[in-house]
Amino acid sequence: MKKIWAITVLTLRAAVRFRLVWVLGLLLVGSVVLLPLLIKDDGTARGFTQILLTYTLSAITGLLGISTLWLACGVLARDIEESQIQMVVVKPVSRWQIWLGKWLGIVILNAVLLALSGVSVYGLLLYRAQKLPPNEQAILRNEVLVARNSLKEPTVDFAPFVEERLQKLLKENPTAQVDVAQLRRQLTEQFKASEQIVDTGQARRWQIDLGFRKLTLKDQPLFVRTKFIAAQTNASGTYPIFWEIGPTNGLRQPFRMSLAPETFHEFVIAPNLFDDKGVLTIDMLNYNETALLFTLEDGLEVLYREGGFGLNFARGLGIIFCWLALMTTLGLTAGSFLSFPVAAFLSIGFLIVGSSSSVLSQTLEEGSIMGVNHDTGVADKKSAVDYVALPVFAGLLKVVNLVQDFSPVEALSSGRSITWGVLGLAVVQIVFLMGGVIAAIGMVVFSRRELAAAQSNS
Amino acid sequence: MALLESISGSVPKSATASPNENVIVVRGLTKVFKDFWGRPKARAVDNVDFEVRRGEVFGLLGPNGSGKSTTVKMLLGLLYPTKGHIEVFNHSPRHVATKSRIGYLPEESYLYRYLNSGETLDFFGNLFDLPAKERAKRSEQLLEMVGLGSVQSRVVGEFSKGMQRRIGLAQALINDPDLVILDEPTAGLDPIGCREVKDLILALARRGKTVILSSHLLADVEDVCDRVVIYYGGKIQAMGTLKELLATPDVVRITTPPLPRESMERVLALIRKDVAEEKIRIDNPTQNLESYFLGVVQRARQSDAATSGATSGGRVAEYLRGDENVEGSLAGTNRVLERLTLTGAGATSGSEKMPDAAPAPTVQSSKLEALTKPLEKPEAQPNQAEAPKVEDLEKANQKLSDLLNKKK
Repeated sequence: MKKIWAITVLTLRAAVRFRLVWVLGLLLVGSVVLLPLLIKDDGTARGFTQILLTYTLSAITGLLGISTLWLACGVLARDIEESQIQMVVVKPVSRWQIWLGKWLGIVILNAVLLALSGVSVYGLLLYRAQKLPPNEQAILRNEVLVARNSLKEPTVDFAPFVEERLQKLLKENPTAQVDVAQLRRQLTEQFKASEQIVDTGQARRWQIDLGFRKLTLKDQPLFVRTKFIAAQTNASGTYPIFWEIGPTNGLRQPFRMSLAPETFHEFVIAPNLFDDKGVLTIDMLNYNETALLFTLEDGLEVLYREGGFGLNFARGLGIIFCWLALMTTLGLTAGSFLSFPVAAFLSIGFLIVGSSSSVLSQTLEEGSIMGVNHDTGVADKKSAVDYVALPVFAGLLKVVNLVQDFSPVEALSSGRSITWGVLGLAVVQIVFLMGGVIAAIGMVVFSRRELAAAQSNS
Repeated sequence: MALLESISGSVPKSATASPNENVIVVRGLTKVFKDFWGRPKARAVDNVDFEVRRGEVFGLLGPNGSGKSTTVKMLLGLLYPTKGHIEVFNHSPRHVATKSRIGYLPEESYLYRYLNSGETLDFFGNLFDLPAKERAKRSEQLLEMVGLGSVQSRVVGEFSKGMQRRIGLAQALINDPDLVILDEPTAGLDPIGCREVKDLILALARRGKTVILSSHLLADVEDVCDRVVIYYGGKIQAMGTLKELLATPDVVRITTPPLPRESMERVLALIRKDVAEEKIRIDNPTQNLESYFLGVVQRARQSDAATSGATSGGRVAEYLRGDENVEGSLAGTNRVLERLTLTGAGATSGSEKMPDAAPAPTVQSSKLEALTKPLEKPEAQPNQAEAPKVEDLEKANQKLSDLLNKKK
C-alpha cells in the first residue's frame, strides 16, 4: 500500500508542479461563475436553475472529462516514453501497483477538483436564488431545490393482446398472404396508439398506485408533470385541457388550463387526493378540435418530494465522479500500450462511440444501417452488412448504456431525486463492471510489455 | 565485511552462502529486436553465457551498440529475452521481491524532473518500503556522499547532467543493495566524480556486494573490475579476470628512488650480461592524468576555493560503508580523495586492480626472488629525466586550472 501511495503522491505532485491543477481549477471556477453570467435566464425559478445547473455542471463534466482523459493518457505513456518508468519497475513494486497508484492519483485529483467546483455551483445557486422574486423563491424551494421521485402508470405488456388479435385475424382470413412479423408490428403500434391517443371530446384516465408511500405522502403536495403532442397545430399554439384529480367517489380537484404541446408542464395538486388504497386517479378531458397524444414514456407522471437538495446534489456529483473514474481507467489503459498521442486519439474515439448511443439505438429500431422505408419507419429488407452490424451495435449499445443510463445533470436541474440506489448502481456498473474490465486489460498489458527500447530514446 | 547487516533490516540478506555462489547466471541469452510486423530487425545479443559470482566486480565491456545495455536491461526484466535463460539470485529477472536486493543506475538518469533531490530519494525509498526514519537518514547520507547535500531543495530538472548522474547513483543505493548494476556510471561526471564512483564501487565490493559495471570507458573498468566480458556485435569475444587478460609475463619492471650514477651503471652492467642492450628500457614512471588532476583539485580545496556546483566528494554513506567499527579512527578523515591514496598504497582488497601508474607498486622481496631470471630496468641519467617532467607538470597544471576556472 505504501508503494502504491508513493506513486499516487508522485502523480499528484506532477499535476501540481506542472501547474495543471491551477489552470484547471481556474477554468472550472471560471465556468461556474462566468457562464451563468453570460447566459440570460427567463427570471423564473425553473429557468434559472435549469441554466445554472445544466450549463455549469455540463461544463464541469466536459472540462474535467477531457482533461482527465488527457492526463490519464499521458501519465503512464509519458513515463514510458521518457524512460522514467525504468527506474520504477526495477524496484520491488509490481506493475499493477504502479498502474493502480497512477489511477488513484488522477482519481483523487478529480475528486478534489469536482468537489471544489461542486461547492462553487452550490454556493452560487443559493446566492443567486436570493435575488429571485419571493413567489419564485417559493417555487424554487418546493419544486426545484428538492429531490423528487416520480411515479407512472404501470407499463402494459401488449404482447399477449397482440398475439390474441393476430391469431384471430389469421383464423378469420386463412387465405390472405401476409407478412406475419409486419402484421404483428402494426398491431403493436395500434394497441400503443389506443393507449396514447386521446381524441377530440374524449377523456383519458391515469391511475397511479402510490403503494406504501401513501403513508409518507400524507399531507404532502404532489406534482403532476405532463407532456403531449398535438395532431394538428392551432392558431394560438396552446390547447385547453380539463383535468380532474382525486378519488372517484370523493372530493376531486379540477384544473382548467391551456398548455403548449411538446414541452413539459408541471403543476402542484392538493395533498391527500389519493383514495384509501393509495391510488391517485387523474382524469383528463380533451375538448380541442384535434387529437392529443400522451406518450407512454413521458406523457404523465406524478412527482413527490423525497429528500433535500444538498444530498441529492452530492449524489449527482457522485455519478459524474464515476464517469471521470471510468475515463481515467480508459486513458490509463490506452496509455499502457500506446504512445501518448495515439492513446489520446483512441480514447477520444471511444468517447465519441459512447456518446452516440442514440444513433445506435435508432439503427437497431430501424433494423438496418441502410435506408429506411419512410412509411413504416423500418427497413424493408436487411442487407448483408446488417447481419454483422446489428448484433455488434446491439452489443455496443448494451455496453454504452451501462454508462449512459444515468443522467445526473438533467435530474438535478429538474429537481429529480438521485437515490442512493442509483448512485450505488452507477458505482457498480461504471466503476466496477465497465472500469474493472478496462483496468484489468490495462494492467495485464502493462505487466507483460517490455519497458525499455532497443536504444535509449532521450 | 558483513558488519552492516543489521542496518538494512528490510532488505532480505540471504547472500551469506558460499563465496562462489552465483548471483547471476546467464545461459544462451539471445535478444532479437523485431519491427512492427514481427520481422527480425537486429540481433542485439547473440547466444551469450556468463555468470557473476557473489562479491565480484564484473565488467561488461564493448563498443557502443555491442549489446551491453540490452544485456543489462534483460537482467533487470526491462526487456525480455528472445531465447535463453537468466537467473538473478536464483529467480527470474521479473520476480518482484528479488528486486529489493538490486540497485540500478541506467545509462541516463531518468529522473522525475519536478521532484527535488530529497523527494526523489524519498520516493524510491518508499518503493522499497523503507520506514520514514530510515529513508530520511539514508537520503541525507547519500546526498552528502554524492556531494549534493547543499542543493537538496532544487528540482532535479534544473540539475546539470553530472549532478543528475549523482542523484541517479544515490537512488541506486538507497536500499543498500546486494547487487548493484551500473550502466555507464561515470558518463557525464567530472574526474573527481569518476574517481568517487570508482572508490564507491571498491567500497561496495569490500563489503561483499556484487557489482556489474557496463562501460566503454576502459580506464573505469580497469580500475575496479575483477572480471570482464568483452562484447562485440552482441557476442562475447573475451572473458576472464583482468590479470589473465592483461598480464604480459615476459616483461618485468622495477621501480626505485633515484640511484647514484655508479650504482645504476653496476645494475645495468649486471643486466646486460643476460639481455641484449636494445631490450632494456629506462624511464621515469609518469603519473596518469587522472591522479594528477585529483592532486591539483585537492590542493585547491585545501586552499578553500568556492564552487557553486556539486560539492565534490562526500564520504561514502555510513550505511553503505559498513566498516565504521573497524576503521573507526579513520571515519573522521575518510574523505574519498584521501582514501584514494590509502587504497593506492596497499588496500587493494584482494584483487589485482588498483589506480594504475602514479604511486609505484611496492616491491616485495619475495616477488623479487621469484623473478630472479627476468631482467630489470634500472634508471639511467635520472637528472636528465627530471627536467622535462617539471615542465610537463607545469603545463598540465595550467591547463587544469584553466579548465576548473572555466567550469565553475
